Amino acid sequence: MVSRWMYLSLVILYGFLLGPFIIIFMASFGANATMAFPPQGFTLDWFTNVFETSQFIDSFWISLQLALLSTIVSLIMGMPVAYALTRFQFAWAGMVETVFSAPILVPGLVIGFAMLNFFVLLGDMHVMTGLFIGHTAILFPYSVRVISASLRNLDPYVEDAAVSLGANRLRGFLLVVLPNMQAGIAAAFVLGFITSFNNVPVSLFLSGPGVTTLPVSMLSYLEYYFDPTIAALSTLLVIFTVLLVQTAERILGLSQFV
Amino acid sequence: MIRRPNQTRTIILLVAPAFIFVLVFFVLPLVFLLSQSVLPEEGGFTLTGYFDFFQSRVSRIVYVRTLKLGLIVTGICVLMSYPAAFVLARMPARRRSFLMSLVILPLMTNAVARTFAWLIILGRRGMINQTLLSLDLVEHPVRFIFTETAIVLGLAQLFLPLMVLPLVSAMENIPDDVLEAARSLGANRLTTFLRIVVPLSSDGLVLGATLVFTGSVTAFVTPAILGGSRLLLMSTLLRQKAVILFDQHAAAVVAVVMIVTTLAVNLLLRVFRVQQT
Repeated sequence: MVSRWMYLSLVILYGFLLGPFIIIFMASFGANATMAFPPQGFTLDWFTNVFETSQFIDSFWISLQLALLSTIVSLIMGMPVAYALTRFQFAWAGMVETVFSAPILVPGLVIGFAMLNFFVLLGDMHVMTGLFIGHTAILFPYSVRVISASLRNLDPYVEDAAVSLGANRLRGFLLVVLPNMQAGIAAAFVLGFITSFNNVPVSLFLSGPGVTTLPVSMLSYLEYYFDPTIAALSTLLVIFTVLLVQTAERILGLSQFV
Repeated sequence: MIRRPNQTRTIILLVAPAFIFVLVFFVLPLVFLLSQSVLPEEGGFTLTGYFDFFQSRVSRIVYVRTLKLGLIVTGICVLMSYPAAFVLARMPARRRSFLMSLVILPLMTNAVARTFAWLIILGRRGMINQTLLSLDLVEHPVRFIFTETAIVLGLAQLFLPLMVLPLVSAMENIPDDVLEAARSLGANRLTTFLRIVVPLSSDGLVLGATLVFTGSVTAFVTPAILGGSRLLLMSTLLRQKAVILFDQHAAAVVAVVMIVTTLAVNLLLRVFRVQQT
């Protein structure tokens, strides 16, 4: 059934998907500053430049803190929701599901803009708080969905058995359910972390003077400079992501949740 | 399923914290946005913001361009993914999971990095122009950046995985027997593909198309880098109205039009799914 030209379609698909990464990789080692292609010579200067640009270093730390904090909070608050949706049957379950998937349906740029107007301009909220709230809200759909999937794979009777043997509900959850959801929680964590770490649209409006996330500061760097520093930084980020995703994939089989 | 008398109370306790969070920090700002679009600073309720938007030539052009490019990108993604997804779905599990992780990888890298590559490929002294110049096909560098083609290429590369993933998972569920039956009954490869594979994977196709289309019409980074202020899409228009023109009322109108557009597409998806079952 699979013919030879169908394999060609695979080559085209992967060429188109991964080609740009190869080009970024090559450009980040090229010696010419004007981004001509193919790059001439070999240098590591652009990588040095990344670490010497305080804009990138500062925003990297902000992105890291933001991604960790918002992922953890969205998981802690999302887990009980997933538990309620998978373990109980109730009339308004559909409504709850819709509300928690809504942040995916609304364009990120619009979310950022609405939050800027309401919290930062009207409510005088701190920039970092605004970013944290925005990121947490957009992560709920992921954490609720992934944790729900992992809870559905776990037989509810296991937990009932613990309760009938004398554990209370909370103890049953902490000692029986939670240890069995490790893979799901870890997958939700990786997915949430990457979603927040890479987000531009929500962060764009919510970033303020001195408080910018890494992708947004990359975008504003591009407005003024067009040199391979961005290529070098992108190469570093790709390596970081490959390591993260490959580790997660090997341990957990991440692709089944995406 | 657990049934006990105080079940409702338990459910409320479980759901409430996150629910209140989403209500206050997500729904409320959107309600405020909606009110901004109909209540200008001068006071009073008015729909002139929307009339102005659809009467203005510029914003009409931008809206139509956004939808048009979204459709083209979706079409390109469908054409590129369909045969490839079929090959992937028929592969031995080990090889497939490796290749699928290569599809996911781009999704996990930020859009600025991915769009930047197109500047190197399409730029004045980029890959394509250098090739054209060295082959003497053109005398001067051709302008590719700030064109619709550049935006389409960038968006297609960005959202292709969102088409491949649902297609592959839909096609995995087609049993080999069905395909063999079609073949043994005399259908050739193309007929089998069009009359068996395509209908049986339409779920994945519709989901993928919805994701790619809504992603394309709302994406910001790619049109900002490859289109700039010369070739605006809805997202870059929103940014321009809000940040450069400081017209929050008009920006709110653009934002609401974007929400309505994506919700309408998602509603169509839901209708399709109901009809399927």
